[in-house]
Amino acid sequence: MSAAGEGLLPPGLGYGQLVGAVADPLMRGRMGRWYWTAFAAALLLTLVLVGSIVWLFIEGIGIFGNNTTIVWGFPIANYVWWVGIGNAGTLISSMLLLTRQPWRAAINRFAEAMTLFAVSIAGLFPILHLGRPYLSYWLAPYPNTMLLWPQWRSALVWDFAAIVTYLLFSVMFFYIGLIPDLATLRDRAQSRTGQVVYGILALGWRGSARHWARHDAVYRAMAAMAVPLVVSVHSVVGLDFAAGLMPGWQETIFPPYFVVGALFSGFAMVVVLAALMRWGFGLQSLLTARHFEAMAKVILAASVIMAISYGTEWLMSWYGGERAERSFLRHQLAGSDALLYWGMIACNVGAPQLLWLPAARRSLPVLIGISLLVNIGMWLERILIIWDTLSHGYLPSMWRPWHVTVWDWALLAGSLGFYALLFLVFARVLPVVSMHDMGKLRHEEGGSR
Amino acid sequence: MSAPPLTRRQAALALIASAASLASCDRPEEEIVPYVEQPERVVPGVPLRFATALPLDGYARGVIATVHEGRPVKLEGNPAHPGSGGATDVFLEAELLALYDPDRSRAVREGTRIASWEGFLSAFLPPMRAASARGGEGLSLLTGHVTSPTLLRLIDELRARYPRLRWHAHQAVGEANALAGAALAFGRPLLALPRLDRAAVVLAIDADPLGPGPDGIRHGREFAARRAARREGGGFSRLYAAEPAMTQTGAKADHRLALPPAALGDLAAHLAARLGAPLSPPALPPAAARFLDAALADLRAHPGEALVVTGEWQPPEVHALVHWINERLGGAPAFVEPPGAAGDGPAGIGELAGDLRAGRVETLLVLGANPAYDAPGELDLAGALRGSQAFTVHLGAWRDETAALCRWHLPEHHPLEDWGDLRARDGTVSLCQPLIRPLYGTRSAAWLLGVALGRLDDTSHGALRATWSARQEGDFEAWWRRALHDGVVAGSAAPAVPPPPARLPSLPERVAGDGLALALRPDPTLWDGRYANNAWLQECPKPLTRLVWGNAALMAPEDAAARGIGDGEMIRLELAGRSLEVPALLAPGTAPGAVVLALGHGRRRAGAIGDGVGADAYALRRAGAPWSAEGLAAVRLGRPGGLLREQPGQRLEGEAKELFQTLSLDGFSARRSDPPPAPSRPPSLNPDAARDTYAWGMVIDTTLCIGCNACVVACQSENNVPVVGPEQVAGGRDMHWLRIDTYDLGTPEAPSPGFQPVPCMHCEHAPCEPVCPVAASVHDAEGLNVQVYNRCIGTRFCQANCPYKVRRFNWYGYADGQEYANQGAPVLAAQRNPEVTVRARGVMEKCTYCTQRISAARRAAEREGRPIRDGEVVTACQAACPSGAIVFGDIGDPASAAARLRQEPQHYALLGHLGTRPRTTYLAEVSNPNPALDDGAA
Repeated sequence: MSAAGEGLLPPGLGYGQLVGAVADPLMRGRMGRWYWTAFAAALLLTLVLVGSIVWLFIEGIGIFGNNTTIVWGFPIANYVWWVGIGNAGTLISSMLLLTRQPWRAAINRFAEAMTLFAVSIAGLFPILHLGRPYLSYWLAPYPNTMLLWPQWRSALVWDFAAIVTYLLFSVMFFYIGLIPDLATLRDRAQSRTGQVVYGILALGWRGSARHWARHDAVYRAMAAMAVPLVVSVHSVVGLDFAAGLMPGWQETIFPPYFVVGALFSGFAMVVVLAALMRWGFGLQSLLTARHFEAMAKVILAASVIMAISYGTEWLMSWYGGERAERSFLRHQLAGSDALLYWGMIACNVGAPQLLWLPAARRSLPVLIGISLLVNIGMWLERILIIWDTLSHGYLPSMWRPWHVTVWDWALLAGSLGFYALLFLVFARVLPVVSMHDMGKLRHEEGGSR
Repeated sequence: MSAPPLTRRQAALALIASAASLASCDRPEEEIVPYVEQPERVVPGVPLRFATALPLDGYARGVIATVHEGRPVKLEGNPAHPGSGGATDVFLEAELLALYDPDRSRAVREGTRIASWEGFLSAFLPPMRAASARGGEGLSLLTGHVTSPTLLRLIDELRARYPRLRWHAHQAVGEANALAGAALAFGRPLLALPRLDRAAVVLAIDADPLGPGPDGIRHGREFAARRAARREGGGFSRLYAAEPAMTQTGAKADHRLALPPAALGDLAAHLAARLGAPLSPPALPPAAARFLDAALADLRAHPGEALVVTGEWQPPEVHALVHWINERLGGAPAFVEPPGAAGDGPAGIGELAGDLRAGRVETLLVLGANPAYDAPGELDLAGALRGSQAFTVHLGAWRDETAALCRWHLPEHHPLEDWGDLRARDGTVSLCQPLIRPLYGTRSAAWLLGVALGRLDDTSHGALRATWSARQEGDFEAWWRRALHDGVVAGSAAPAVPPPPARLPSLPERVAGDGLALALRPDPTLWDGRYANNAWLQECPKPLTRLVWGNAALMAPEDAAARGIGDGEMIRLELAGRSLEVPALLAPGTAPGAVVLALGHGRRRAGAIGDGVGADAYALRRAGAPWSAEGLAAVRLGRPGGLLREQPGQRLEGEAKELFQTLSLDGFSARRSDPPPAPSRPPSLNPDAARDTYAWGMVIDTTLCIGCNACVVACQSENNVPVVGPEQVAGGRDMHWLRIDTYDLGTPEAPSPGFQPVPCMHCEHAPCEPVCPVAASVHDAEGLNVQVYNRCIGTRFCQANCPYKVRRFNWYGYADGQEYANQGAPVLAAQRNPEVTVRARGVMEKCTYCTQRISAARRAAEREGRPIRDGEVVTACQAACPSGAIVFGDIGDPASAAARLRQEPQHYALLGHLGTRPRTTYLAEVSNPNPALDDGAA
């Protein structure tokens, strides 16, 4: 373990210092101006989100730029993108735990929080995009006076199930992982309120060996469940499209391609958030260059797989020989939206290739820049999957251009703001780094020394 | 338990309150009758049908109106009527919406002030008495084209009473050139009735018989009679068209030639010269000469079955020439005397303008004409009216441009509210009966003419009966009932007149102007502008260009390129000191040198729908040569014109031609002898559809479709399809359940458009059904793909997955609280078909195969204990189609018309390879090209 763990902790860091580095900002630290500025900005955008939703309910979904041909647009792209963002948290927590990657300890906590918030926000969009959002509960299988079940053949029903399952699971996984740290906070809390609240949430955790043993068993079992769940949720999102009949959607590659795409955008988001946390909370000692380099490698690998996926799509569209598929491919590569498409390729395939250079992987500004590009590229990919296919279907008579309205942007910006707000609140009330996981790492490193 | 005692004050207040509340729910003052005994014939929920007729340019087209509890909700063609033959066009369909137009005039007005009928009479009678004393000097009457025997009788009486009355008639489109041409050829104006069903070869020189017009429905039917390619065989005609811009006729032609308007006269002159006329017109371009050679050989090869037609837009000389040519070819159309007054015909609008300017008009009655808008801009009739001191009275159903300039405006009945009579183009008389009590306090033209004659209590009903009781011998009441019931007066068609030998006209010297040639045309959906306030028609995509909410100057791409004009850019057209700004539309098939512009747009006082939509082409119109002018300049303005097209011009090339399949007649004949093709069944894991009951299906014959849009508007009318308005159309959100996809199958030099009506395909393996998470899109036992509006939550996955994109989504409450402009006015609710749900915001909708009509037929059949007969269910689009291109029926019954068409060799399913197994299928377009013109392009 020592080789793998090397460089993940500063030498000579004691348990007390470690816990202090994480917990002190919560207990004693007064948030600086940057925090409140960010908070105000996030709150403002959240109000934009709320305002947009209110207007949506008053006016109807005509406020979006969709039309008869391009019936989906921003909301569905946002949904797929947000679900993708959520992917990395669970993967970091579970897959890296199962494969015993020690570097996950510093980032798994906020990566999980990221998942939770992203999936919650993602879940809003399919509801908001409905023509009659107040009837969205009809997707749920419940006994009703209409004597009707949902229509099980629809990918949207699978999707509804997958998202709800994923959200519930993420909440539980996050909470179980948090229990020992909540106990730590309870013990270190300065105020009575803190003691009571953290105390209740800690569920009487005393840190006994039996507690640790049971916690570890449950946590690992859940991690084992999480991996297939992550794969399934993104596969189902892919099936939303692949189960269709439209050129550009009806592709068997979609489920794995969506999983990798989600991993890709998720890790890019983790990099951005990790850099922000590290700077904002002074966690340089815990989030080291090693962590960023490991994530950079994941992003690079994912980008290569994405490149292979794009290539496969092109090949199959051409090789299949179907007129509409080939016409679609021409439209994608050289049509009215080709600029966006090549922009997406540049962001998703081009930019990450820089990470072959060790120097680029270690340079935080470069890595952040690439991560932001990846997130933009992945969002472009989501919107283009919708726009390209729907605007260029089987019958040329119904080919139409897409439109974007101010409400499309408002809802996207608002969701980003709401995400930031949730994160800022999280950072203020819960430990952003898993203290017990870091302690374990410290223990293992110390043991080997 | 007893109530607490009230104080005296409280008791008094309670008494006052209860008295006040009781007083407010009183009965009306007049006697009202409880619905204890049903009115005769009215069964709630069971519609009644009445025959009547509606005018276009004065000519009758017979309709059968469906009336629900006193509200007309659908108009269909009257099969007994020669002008409609059971089908409709866009104008007939949309006249229903005009009845309920919220902008209709409701009040008598003196200037802008609301006045009373009594007030009008007291102002009107003194000048009339004065005019009477002068023998009618200074009294002018302006009407549209009048064919009504009753109105003509009243006008005759008026002229007898006021001998010096000047009667002017103005019809912006009309047929003045055609009548003048006949007068040149035969010495008197005769009305030509070309019979396309009797012609094996037709040459249309700048004519659009298949396009809009008073006889367009009949032409469509007759054309189809000679174009149905069927296994059993039958004559198949050949159509040649030469025209400046693509028309429906040009689109259906087997060979088409684009020539600017003036060169078309040369073409006719060449044709005459080749037939022996002593003419020496200027040489034709080689392509035109080749076209003419082939057409002439073909015409000569079919003596008695050859027909040459020309359009109103050609000058009288060309009409006369064509009469002469037809006589030589032995295929002359039938001629009848035009319906009209006994004495001299009316004068034109130009004379009226002169009289107004010269102050010779003291009293002017305007009946059903709108010259302030649709007179040629050169006359500036609006200015003449404004400057005139005359006592002007306007009677009309809308307070339009002319009404605003007249001293008095009187609201008129809509034709569906009025008694009357009209003649079809062949002279057949229809009696028109009102289908609804007038919605507002309106009066009729017969009443006003009666007043002018000094009979203050004339009614249109009385006048009508007076006209016909004087002409009928025997039992008038029986005749009356029969005529009203049938919608036509049997045997009233004008007798065919054997025309005198045609004289060869002397052709005027052609002055070649520099610059472009302007060609004006009536609008295919707004006609001369009278339908500009009709939301259905504004939003109905115009044939070929598929323009909505506006007009455009059609230009040849090479002309535009030479001037740097891009498609859709705003240009300024300049002609003899007048100018007009209008968007340019680069239309392949437009003759180089020609600019074609539709009239009827740019209304200033049409109403909430039509005001300011498009550009008013009347501004460029000249009185002497109303349809074309040389010396036009087009100047690029360098800003976008905001054209709204539901489909840009699209050419199908290569494999994409599978979408719109075509076949030459030879190819069809070769296939005809083959056994019927086995139905192609793409493999599927899904079970086959059960066929234990009716299997509804539709077959659309693209050979017969003339792209007229009657089906589109009929569907809108039948199924309560809302209008969304230009902003929503610009966003791509039109709601038509049925669209006519128009693809170009030719080359940029020789475009060849094909019309493909696309309703819902009602796929047996419908891609929309498995993707709906709430089972709102489901299949019924008879094969209909049905949409359950109540269950729909609006995921739109169905439309995303529909390869045909035939579903329509209510992005806003287009019919339900968020209507466009005044389309939410309460009066429009009366138009809604009570048998079809009005869809709410946020739900998907689409073609239902008129499931309400299937249901009505099923109820009728079950009552009689028999299966539904073939042909008993007629969908709204099918009923409207003038050419019978749409056939609906039980495809499970091999004897049904639809099932038989599915066995035809040219039958195909759109995107059939996807395995959707559509129930709506197509017959490929069969054309009949002349081998002599075959240039190998095929």
